[in-house]
Amino acid sequence: MNGKQKRILAVCGAFALYFGLIPAAGAMHIMEGYLPVGFCVLWGVICLPFLAAGLISIRKVINENRRVLILLAMSGAFIFVISSLKIPSWTGSCSHMTGTGLGAILFGPVAVSILGLIVLLFQAILLAHGGLTTLGANTFSMAVAGPLVSFGVYKLGKKLKVPLYINVFLAAFLGDLFTYCVTAVQLGLAQHADTTLPAAIGRFLLVFAPTQLPLAVIEGLLTCMIVMGLETYAKPELRAVGFLKEAK
Amino acid sequence: MIVIDKLCYQSGLRHVNAGEKFAFAMITLLLCVVSRSIACACIVLAATGILTVWKGGIPVFRYLKLMTVPLAFLQLGTLAIIIDVSKTRQDFLALPLGDWYVGVTFSSFFYALQLIGTALAAVSCLYFLSLSTPMPDILNVLRAIHCPALLCELMLLIYRFIFILMEVASAITISQHSRLGNRNYRTSLKSFSALASVLLLRSFKRANALYDAMEARCYDGTIRVLNESFPPKAGEILCFALLDLLFLAVMVLERIQI
Repeated sequence: MNGKQKRILAVCGAFALYFGLIPAAGAMHIMEGYLPVGFCVLWGVICLPFLAAGLISIRKVINENRRVLILLAMSGAFIFVISSLKIPSWTGSCSHMTGTGLGAILFGPVAVSILGLIVLLFQAILLAHGGLTTLGANTFSMAVAGPLVSFGVYKLGKKLKVPLYINVFLAAFLGDLFTYCVTAVQLGLAQHADTTLPAAIGRFLLVFAPTQLPLAVIEGLLTCMIVMGLETYAKPELRAVGFLKEAK
Repeated sequence: MIVIDKLCYQSGLRHVNAGEKFAFAMITLLLCVVSRSIACACIVLAATGILTVWKGGIPVFRYLKLMTVPLAFLQLGTLAIIIDVSKTRQDFLALPLGDWYVGVTFSSFFYALQLIGTALAAVSCLYFLSLSTPMPDILNVLRAIHCPALLCELMLLIYRFIFILMEVASAITISQHSRLGNRNYRTSLKSFSALASVLLLRSFKRANALYDAMEARCYDGTIRVLNESFPPKAGEILCFALLDLLFLAVMVLERIQI
């Protein structure tokens, strides 16, 4: 074996070892300490108007009916639990839903922004998914951008009279994809030391694609099936959160 | 059910004032992220690790296993940063593929090393906080620094409800397993969605019952919880301050040298 062959073998070995070791493919939380301070603050500030709007609207609803606070808290806990459960995946590695697409469809994007913030904080502290410094960036991608797209697609589909289940699937699927793209952009913006910005974003998109694309499809499928189940069993509850009220 | 939550209640640092721990973790975290120096990261990693394991009494293997939680993200993220495809040969590691080279340059290799160090140190800071301070204590700190009251109230309720729902979810999962609900991929998808929809249904029923019960006990919009208070001690503050000064000194020294 000459030197060149040896090198190729070593690199192949390293690759095999590397991909063999990837333990889990969760939703794409940017980990603690991965973003420079400037970007942490920037994304936090971008989130603020959405969070403020969420807080104001929640306060308004609660002043009319206190019961909603408990309902909202349960919904938040529901999103946390759903996103902490292992979902079935083809590869056998454990992966998780984001759950925010479902939340946006059921509770609306305004409430989900606040619930998402709290859920992400709990995930950072209790599960070490994501982090405190990257809370702003994660909140923007998962609790603001993704749900907004999900909700927009859902509303649009309803206007165009797309069948409900296909509509729900598309909303959750596209919301998840958008979350993944936004995260890649966030990472690319922060880490493009020696390449151009589009190249850096492209790389992050490429690297996370094998885990995130199947995940988006599964999330869409599951959300669709969950809504199916809810329609069968929980009509009055759905009416209470406004999911069915608008459908009429 | 949640490992970190269980461990933090038995931590030896549990009875240290929560504000001190919170401030220490935040300041250290900021120093790490601002400095991005490998030396600083190593010292922070060592210091918070030793504090958590030795003072906190968290089993070492548990701690090391917890440190691997963010590894998947770190691996993929680092891969995206260091792998470079171009027509010029990279100086650190290069693999020719036709006219092109796939490889790693020195600058990006060191950049990635720095990033990994910083990220791991930051995660160890986070663990220092979460493995020593239970959530209600953290909420008290948030309340003291004037986080909106509505947000704090929601957090308190959500924290409580998480455990209720997890109990329900785990019971459902067990019964699904015992009925071969996860026999193949199709059934496991079906089981999961059934679990989720039933969980939402149960949680709403629970919420309504809870509200009625609270209303019956004169709930007026605020939940008052009796807090155990652990007053800050001068010695502890001094220790934390000295540690942070040490980190700061290392960071400044490294800056000056470069």
